[in-house]
Amino acid sequence: MTGRVIVITSGKGGVGKTTTSANIGTALAKNGHSVVLIDTDIGLRNLDLLLGLENRIVYTLVDVVEERCKLKQALVKDKKNPNLCLLAAAQTRDKTSVSADQLKKITEKLKKDYDFILVDCPAGIEQGFQTAIAGASEAIVVTTPEMSAVRDADRIIGLLEAAEGIESYKLLINRVRPNMIKTNDMMSVEDVENILSCKKIGIIPEDTGIITSTNRGEPIVNNEKSPAGKAYINVARRINGEEVPFLDLNEPTKFIDKIKKFLSGINKQGKEQ
Amino acid sequence: MEQTLNEENIYTINIENATNAPEVIFELSSALDNDEVKNKRICLKLGNIDLNQAQLLSIKSLINGIDSNLSSIETKSVETEKVALALGIVVSNVSPENVKDLTPVNPYKTAEDLKEEIITEKKEVEEEKQIENNYDSEITKEVLSYNSLNESESTEKLQETCENESFTDEQNNQENQEQNNETENIEQKEENQIEAIEAASNIQNDQEYTNSNTTQEHLSENENQTEQSFNEENIKEGIETDSSNNKQTNNENVQDELEVIFGSNPKKSSIFSMEIPKEIYEEKEEIANITIPEQEYTKDDIELETFPTKYIKQTIRSGQVINYEGNLVIIGDCHPGCEVIAFGDITVWGVLSGIAHAGAGGNEKARVRALKMNAIQLRIANCYSRRPDSLNSVFIEKTNSFTPEEARIINGEIVVFKIND
Repeated sequence: MTGRVIVITSGKGGVGKTTTSANIGTALAKNGHSVVLIDTDIGLRNLDLLLGLENRIVYTLVDVVEERCKLKQALVKDKKNPNLCLLAAAQTRDKTSVSADQLKKITEKLKKDYDFILVDCPAGIEQGFQTAIAGASEAIVVTTPEMSAVRDADRIIGLLEAAEGIESYKLLINRVRPNMIKTNDMMSVEDVENILSCKKIGIIPEDTGIITSTNRGEPIVNNEKSPAGKAYINVARRINGEEVPFLDLNEPTKFIDKIKKFLSGINKQGKEQ
Repeated sequence: MEQTLNEENIYTINIENATNAPEVIFELSSALDNDEVKNKRICLKLGNIDLNQAQLLSIKSLINGIDSNLSSIETKSVETEKVALALGIVVSNVSPENVKDLTPVNPYKTAEDLKEEIITEKKEVEEEKQIENNYDSEITKEVLSYNSLNESESTEKLQETCENESFTDEQNNQENQEQNNETENIEQKEENQIEAIEAASNIQNDQEYTNSNTTQEHLSENENQTEQSFNEENIKEGIETDSSNNKQTNNENVQDELEVIFGSNPKKSSIFSMEIPKEIYEEKEEIANITIPEQEYTKDDIELETFPTKYIKQTIRSGQVINYEGNLVIIGDCHPGCEVIAFGDITVWGVLSGIAHAGAGGNEKARVRALKMNAIQLRIANCYSRRPDSLNSVFIEKTNSFTPEEARIINGEIVVFKIND
């Protein structure tokens, strides 16, 4: 078995790399694939927190690299989903403690036993980024519809194209607010796609549920009613090769909006008559 | 099994048909799968079945797990009724003989009784073991600990006995091959102790390594766990995974699993019970005698007293590591993500939320003290325990009413006590 190694990166911080990693990983595992999440954000680890596995971590990525433990020992199994494993980053070290070659070795080993290896990349384009992309053959570039995030994503895509080993990359547009797009206050998904000339793999709507799920340590895909959860599940299916239509952002989600739409329709009809 | 909804948002689940504990849990869990049950107060109708405290607690936690509350219980069994009353659960049809017990409801009794159960059961097992196997070595331990002339010899033998003990545990869990490796490791370590101790401070020690190895396997495989929170998790996990799969084919698995969980011989694991109030010890001196066995004054105690002590007056933040070959006193908080490692005791005058490792050189008498114990992981010597998932609080509110807590090893497990016990 050869697994796929996918790096999740963005350049800019705070756009949702870690949230995306946790949710796509959980969604893939829910679909029956075996998944390993690798947190390469050494010194600023958060992925364990999002999965609620903080108190279970004994050995970290750095311990594996420095051969203080076997790779199997450092993999923390998820509480709910036995298909999902986490290889956590060390909190008390920095990015220099793992080199690109070392991470590549680890991903090569994991490839044999797991379907998907998702690498959560740190922000920035320095050594941490170079390390994270070393073992990966695919990349997901996370961005938000803001100019700063899009610029950084552009820079990252340039680096990914230059990097050896990255065969394909896709765009994931996070924190999209349909209402603001309607009023022209936010770049539309198509705008972002055009600026970056890159194909999208998912659109994640802004969802306040993300905050609660982060605090509780439970990925939002476990809540299938939330819009962001649905979107992440769709992304996971697309990664797996399925063709899933993108969420229709213009469709009113609130009941009141539906009534408004219905009433405006009647009004128009009345005027036309 | 039927479910009805009252006007007061109370959901009644009727499982009178169930005849044994696994059946109760199974029926309850399938009832709880329903989305409507979430965020409700639940009234449980039980038949004529005797449930013990651990089982009732598991049921309660199952219900808590889906954000609901167990508001009351209806039961025909007097035994279950007593237990429920002791746990502070409302019983809707109290029989006259139990009415008297209703007044002194102690909300903390649960944690205490749980601990009592585990410790007494474990003690029985261990006493047998010790009498049979380790009696001779115990005597040599005592004699040698007071023999100052043969110090080096005594330490070696002490370590031997310790390792023998830990070995018997590992034999249950580890594969034969790994055991052989460990024996090699331990033999090596006996040859040069000093190196091993140095390594221990960086958690590189072989012994630490192998022991943590078992704990890691504990975690990942969820085996051999008797602590209540662990049990709860097991039940939840078992049920959740099974309910997501095909229910009918997995019924047997669930039943088996539950029988293991509720079986009469729970195996060893680490305790990390947080709420043990003073009153219980005053009321029940017997329990106090059981839980805190008188520990003899050994070389470890002398070592602790002669260790140098370091004072640190600052907040230890995420990513910071404090490493000291002696006792540590920290005046300030230890935030999540930090590591505090000391050869002796660790005393935190503040909230301890990171990882604390006392007795990193192998001193099992070392203790961890804090004004508020919220540590993600506690390690003392070669023991290891993690914070129960039920205590997943985002932050600790600072008040003037902290009760200092202390963690120490009792019967090979880390137990957290309120300091005024």
